Parts: sequence; C-alpha cells; structure tokens
Amino acid sequence: MGFLVTTLIFVVIGIIACLCTRICCNRGPSANLFHLTLVITATICCWMMWAIVYLAQMKPLIVPILNEGE
Amino acid sequence: MVNEGRFLPTMDLLRSEPMQLVQLIIPIESAHRSISYLGDLGLIQFKDLNADKSPFQRTYASQIKRCGEMARRLRLFKEQMTKAGVSPSTWSTRDNHFDLEHLEVKLEELEAELLEINANNEKLQHTYNELLEYKLVLEKVGEFFSSAKNKAVAQQKELEFQTTVEGSIDSPLLLEQEETTTKQIKLRFISGLVHREKSIPFERIIFRATRGNVFLKQAVIQHPVLDPLSGEKVHKNVFVVFYSGERVKSKILKICDAFGANRYPFSDDLSKQFQTIREVSGRLSELKTTIDAGLIHRSTLLQTIGYHYEQWSLQLKKEKSIYHTLNMLSINVTKKCLLAEGWCPVFATSQIHKVLERATMDCSSQVGAIFQVLETKESPPTYFSTNKFTSSFQEIVDAYGIAKYQEANPGVYTIVTFPFLFAVMFGDWGHGICLLLAALYLIIREKKFASQKLGDIMEMAFGGRYIIMLMALFSIYTGLIYNEFFSVPFELFGPSAYGCRDSSCRDASTTGFIKVRSTYPFGVDPKWHGTRSELPFLNSLKMKMSILLGVSQMNLGIIMSYFNAKYFENNINIWYQFVPQIIFLNSLFGYLSLLIIIKWSTGSQADLYHVMIYMFLSPTDDLGENQLFVGQKLLQLVLLLLALVAVPWMLVPKPFLLKKQHQERHQGQSYDLLYGTDDPLESESQSIPHDEFDFSEVFVHQLIHTIEFVLGAVSNTASYLRLWALSLAHSELSSVFYDKVLLLAWGYNSTIVLIVGIFVFICATVGVLLLMESLSAFLHALRLHWVEYQNKFYEGDGYKFFPFSFTLLTDEDEL
Repeated sequence: MGFLVTTLIFVVIGIIACLCTRICCNRGPSANLFHLTLVITATICCWMMWAIVYLAQMKPLIVPILNEGE
Repeated sequence: MVNEGRFLPTMDLLRSEPMQLVQLIIPIESAHRSISYLGDLGLIQFKDLNADKSPFQRTYASQIKRCGEMARRLRLFKEQMTKAGVSPSTWSTRDNHFDLEHLEVKLEELEAELLEINANNEKLQHTYNELLEYKLVLEKVGEFFSSAKNKAVAQQKELEFQTTVEGSIDSPLLLEQEETTTKQIKLRFISGLVHREKSIPFERIIFRATRGNVFLKQAVIQHPVLDPLSGEKVHKNVFVVFYSGERVKSKILKICDAFGANRYPFSDDLSKQFQTIREVSGRLSELKTTIDAGLIHRSTLLQTIGYHYEQWSLQLKKEKSIYHTLNMLSINVTKKCLLAEGWCPVFATSQIHKVLERATMDCSSQVGAIFQVLETKESPPTYFSTNKFTSSFQEIVDAYGIAKYQEANPGVYTIVTFPFLFAVMFGDWGHGICLLLAALYLIIREKKFASQKLGDIMEMAFGGRYIIMLMALFSIYTGLIYNEFFSVPFELFGPSAYGCRDSSCRDASTTGFIKVRSTYPFGVDPKWHGTRSELPFLNSLKMKMSILLGVSQMNLGIIMSYFNAKYFENNINIWYQFVPQIIFLNSLFGYLSLLIIIKWSTGSQADLYHVMIYMFLSPTDDLGENQLFVGQKLLQLVLLLLALVAVPWMLVPKPFLLKKQHQERHQGQSYDLLYGTDDPLESESQSIPHDEFDFSEVFVHQLIHTIEFVLGAVSNTASYLRLWALSLAHSELSSVFYDKVLLLAWGYNSTIVLIVGIFVFICATVGVLLLMESLSAFLHALRLHWVEYQNKFYEGDGYKFFPFSFTLLTDEDEL
C-alpha cells in the first residue's frame, strides 16, 4: 500500500515539475517537448531507483544481525 | 528530403537541423565583403570547388602570400615585445579599422622603423663595448707601466751605489750599463684583452713562436665584460706584450687574431695616457646617453605596436581565412562572378539573404549576389544547435561518433541518464553536496572563467560544469536512497522497520532483528549499517538493481532504433530488426527482470540463477521449489521458443528483402530505358549510376550484426553489473575512512589526534572519493552509454557541420 501511495506522489511531483518547466521555460513547442522529455525521463529514473529499493525491502529474506559484542 | 514532422512533432536536439546545399553566385567586387559577413554569421560550410588545384594555382594565392608576410611581421613584433618586456594590450582599440592595403603599408613602415632602431642600437652598443674594453686596457696597462717605472728607478739607484763603493773597477761596469740602456730604447709593446680560458695557451704559444724573446704580462678583470662581437658577458684578462723587431710583431698580431684578442693602442707617455682616459670616459658617457635614448624610443614604438597588436592579429587571421575561403570558390569564365557551394541549416536562409544584401549595398555593387538551393543526393553534415547546458552532453555523444544526418540523437536521453547512472555508482549525499558546491562555484564564476585561459584539467572541469551539477544533484538523490552521508545512515524519513524480538535484545547478534513495522518509506533502512548481514543484503539488492536499470536502458536503445527506422521509412528495419530484437531481449532478460520483481513482491526463496540456467538446460522439467507463479513452466517454454525464433528472424529475411528491393529498382531502370529509346537524351538523363549489390557481403554483414546482438545481449547485461561494483567500492571506501580514521581519532580523547584525524579524513575524502572515485564512475557511466546503450541503435557515421566562422577561428588558429 505504501508503494502505491509513494508512486502516486512521484507522479504528482512529475506533473508539477512538467507544469513548472512549461511555465518557466516556455520557448516554443519544439523546445517545450524537449524539456518535457527531460523531466519525464528524470522522474522515471528517480521513481525506478526508489521503487527498486522499496520492493527489495518489502519482504526481505534476511534481517539485520548485529556484530558480536555490540 | 525526409518527411519531417509528419508522424511526430519536432523536438529540439532529437534530430539534427535540416540542412540544404546552397549555391551562391557573387560578383567579384562584393565577394570579399560577402565572405567577410558570412564569416561573422558562421552558418555556411563551404565546399572546396577547387580541390584539384594546388595552393599556388588558386585565385588568391598572392593575397595569402601577402597575409603570410604580414603574419611574419607580426611574429617579429611579438618576439621583440617579449624581449623588451612589453605585453600586448588586452583592451584593443577598435575605433579605426584598416583595410588590408593600409595594414600592409603600416606594418611595413613599422617593421622598417623597428629594424632601423635595432640596427642603430646594435651599432652603438658595439662601439660602447669597444670603448669600455679600451678604458679597461688603459687602466690596467697604466698600472703595469707605473710599477715598472718604480722598479727601474730603484734598480738604477742600487747600481749607482755599487759604482761608488767599488771605484777600482769603474770602467767595465759603466760600459755594460751603456749597452743595456741602448737595448731598452728599441722595445715595443702590444696591449689588449683576451678570453680568460684562452689566456694560458695564448701565453704559451706566443712564447714558443718568438723563442722566448718577449715579455708578457696579464692581469685579471674582476667583472665580466661585454664582448663587442658576440654581445655576451665574458671573463677576460688584460695583456701587454713587449717585443723587438718587425717579424716578431707580425707573429704576435697573427696569434692575437687567432685567439680573438682585441687590441687597443696605448701610449707610454704619461700625460697622453691621462688625456686618452679622459677622452674615452667622455665618449662613453655620451654614448650611454644616446643608447638610453634609443632604448626609450624603441620601447615607445613597441608599446604603440602593442596597443594594436591584438586587433591587427585578429584582423589578419580573418583576412587570411577569407582568402582561403575565396580560394574554394570557382571563378567563372568572364571573371566577373564567383561561384560558391556549401551547406547551411534551413533556418539560416533568411539570415544569409540579409547578409548578402548588406554586402551588396556596402560595396555599392550594381549586381546582387544570387542565392539558390540545390537538389542533391549527398549526405549533409550533421548540425545540432546546442546551448551552454546541452553542448557538453552532446560532446559526450560526439566523442563516440557524429550522428548520421537526421539520425535520432542519443544526446537527448543522455542528459538525464548519464548523470543518473553516475549517481547510482557514486551515491552518497554528503559527497553529492561537495560536488554540487564545486559545480556551483564554476557556474557562478562562469563569465570570469569563460574569458580566461585555464589549465587543461580546469578547462575540462569548467566545460563540464553543468554535467557536474546534474551528477551532484542525482548523487544527492541516490545518496538519500542509499541512506549514506559520508557513509553514515540517518533516520530521515521515519523510524527503522526493524526492532528487537523482545525487550532484552539478547537475540540481536545471533538471530537478528525482526521486521516490526511497515517498510522504511524512502531508501535503505538505517538498521542495516554495520551489521553482519549488511553486505549480503546490499549486494543482492544492487546486483538486481543493475539488471533492472540495464535492461531498461537497453530497451530504450532498441526503441530508439524503431524511431530511426520509422523516420527514414525503413520498414525492413522495423519488422526484421526492431521486432525480433525486442522479442529476444525481453524473452530472456526482460523475463529475468520480471522474476526479480516477483521474487521481491512475494518474498519467495526461489533461486533465480537456477531458474535461468534450467530454463535452457531442461525446459520441460518441473520447477519444484523454484516456482514463483502458476504457469511459469509454460511461459518459460513460450519465451524460449520466441527467443529461438527471433534469431533467424533477425538474420535471414533482411538480406533477401534487400536483394529483392535492389532487383525491383534495377527492373524499373530497364523499363525506363525501353521507354526512352525514341529520345536518347532523355534516356541518358534517366540513367541512375549503377551500384553493385553483393548478396554474400550483405548476408555476412547481417550475420555479424545478428551474432553481435545476441552475444551482446548477454555481455551487455553482465556489463551493467559494474553499477553494483562501483557502488559497493564507493560505499566501502567511505566506511573505511569514516570508521578507521575519524572514529579512531575520536576514541583517543586527544585534541591534537582529533585534528590530525579530521585532516586525514578530509584529504582522503577529497583525494580518493571526490576525485578518483568520481572520475572512475564518470568513465564507467560513459562506457555504459557508448557501448551498452548507443550500440543498440546508433550508427554514428555522419560528419560534423564545420561552418566558416570567425568565432571558431579566433579560438583555434595561430598566426
């Protein structure tokens, strides 16, 4: 459930970033499409990175084991 | 021309700018100015229409020779200014702009004046040096004679005393004395200076040549003397040689010449000696004044030249490049027009029109230049219009190969994926912040550094400042994901998901913690740090992450090849290249990625290693405990079959279809010939140049390509594991520096040890992690983009648009 919520957060942040880029750096349809591509790519990369680490920790096969004498 | 924008909206940087081959017909009178204005514009790449001619056969060879002569003069000025310690003025006055003739005349005049001043100064200096030596000779030899005279007087008194005492033998002594006096009157002498290192052989040879019938005396001069001939400072001795007879004199003169000894006249009359010294001293001071005035004059002249030097150099470079460009143009038979051909971006058409019109008006030319677009089958050069942000990323791609004209540019996604993959390897938000500060420093000082001459390394760092900034930002992000701040974890996004089994925590070091809360919401759980199971967990996590990221990027590459095939309307590449490649990659490695995700989601204990191996070795056997989902066996069978089918699908059809295509084209040509038998001219014009189709060559090429892709899919996937390896290395090194340096120093409870520890920690962090590790991660990210990603779709066999531009000229050219 936490996975879906955070994914939704990433989507929202991505949309907001797209809108901000569109508003702040409006330089014609060709450049805007370029900026949109960059923002979407960055959002997907960041989401993918987060999702991989989150999924790996959802149902771990091993647990943290402290060193002796700690 | 390819249909642009028909299927997809245009996007900056994805395709190179549309280019056109243009032809200019320029009247001779406005040609120079037209080319000059086009050089300022910097948007035309001229073709060399006189490639078959030698440099001396070209139209403007004489002008280029003149430019060469002027460049020689400027180099002479530069050399003279360097010697005189005058530096060219950086603020150059641009008010007066000379044309080439005026500049040539002025440089000629200045050169003549400078050479004259130099010659005069040299002559005066020579005379000055000679007089200086003469003065030294006068002083030293004067000392000789004074001391000799004193000795003679003493000796004479002694002789008189003896005569008085021994009166009985007066007659014989008086006679001998008279004879001695007679001999002394006949002696002569030569005086001058000789090099100190030559003085001993000089003395020896004179003694031998005259059989010992000379008297030679030398004195050392304490300070080095400026040699009149060589102009260098030399250690010398003053010498005086006493001799009798003309034959001995000629011998001595020859020996003096052989040893380079300078001779100066000397009078034995005391009053004349003093007079000569006064005269020489007077002339010396007079010459000194004259020499100083000459030097001031020379310095003034050089400073005047220095004010204009940069401007003149720049203008001369421009003129030279203009004439080189004019030499590329073809002059027509009537010698009234120049014909030019070149490539320019389509968007530059109106700008070029304006420039040519302006040149026509400025020259008051009656006929304007003609500008027209030519149709051609040649492949245009590749031109991406970038800004200061995107240019460095484009250079990363261009270093691998220049894109073919209008080929999909990997630079678009590289802007994000390159710093992202770097950050996956470098992830630590403490180090990311350090990198960000360095990048921001370079960006804030942008204007200052842009106008400076930086060192090699600094130049590269400055050129890549935006890459460094993005790498830093992504590193901060992945550092938060890895939960490392100089290798120290924090609970930034909530408490750890792991806790003790009971309140006593006795099992923490044996059985370990248990998961008592929901998953840590962002990044790696901080409890893993420092535990025995940290490495197994992180290794497993990062290896799987590498596979997932790698397969994603490779799929993106193959999808790019689809866009290329679509754009160039190459259906063969879509159906017999793109489709089987996607099927093959995702049947095997896409499936592996899916298994990874399923394993994580379900917490299964299946061994993916064995699943993949036995998918090939025994696909029909039961999976047993390695089953992750229902129907897995059937799916694996289907995927295996798909992969097996994809390989011949990639290999076989394309060569045959290309052959068929070629045959159809050939047949069409035959039909044209048949129709055109009535009109031989029309028939000739329709003939297309025959291109040989070698089926075996095409087939072998396709075979190599298929093998490369299939094997590449395996090796490239394994190659992405470097993301894990680099990340692990960075993390472990960071931990070692923190634990073994900082914490160890802290444990000593000594301020001095702590300061030393902090210092060592800072040096290790900056030297090893920020410099060496970041360079290493950079290179590996570069490799992943060049080979693993671009290999999937990028041909990179184009050539770069290199326009005639004064801006490029200023940076690159040297006089």
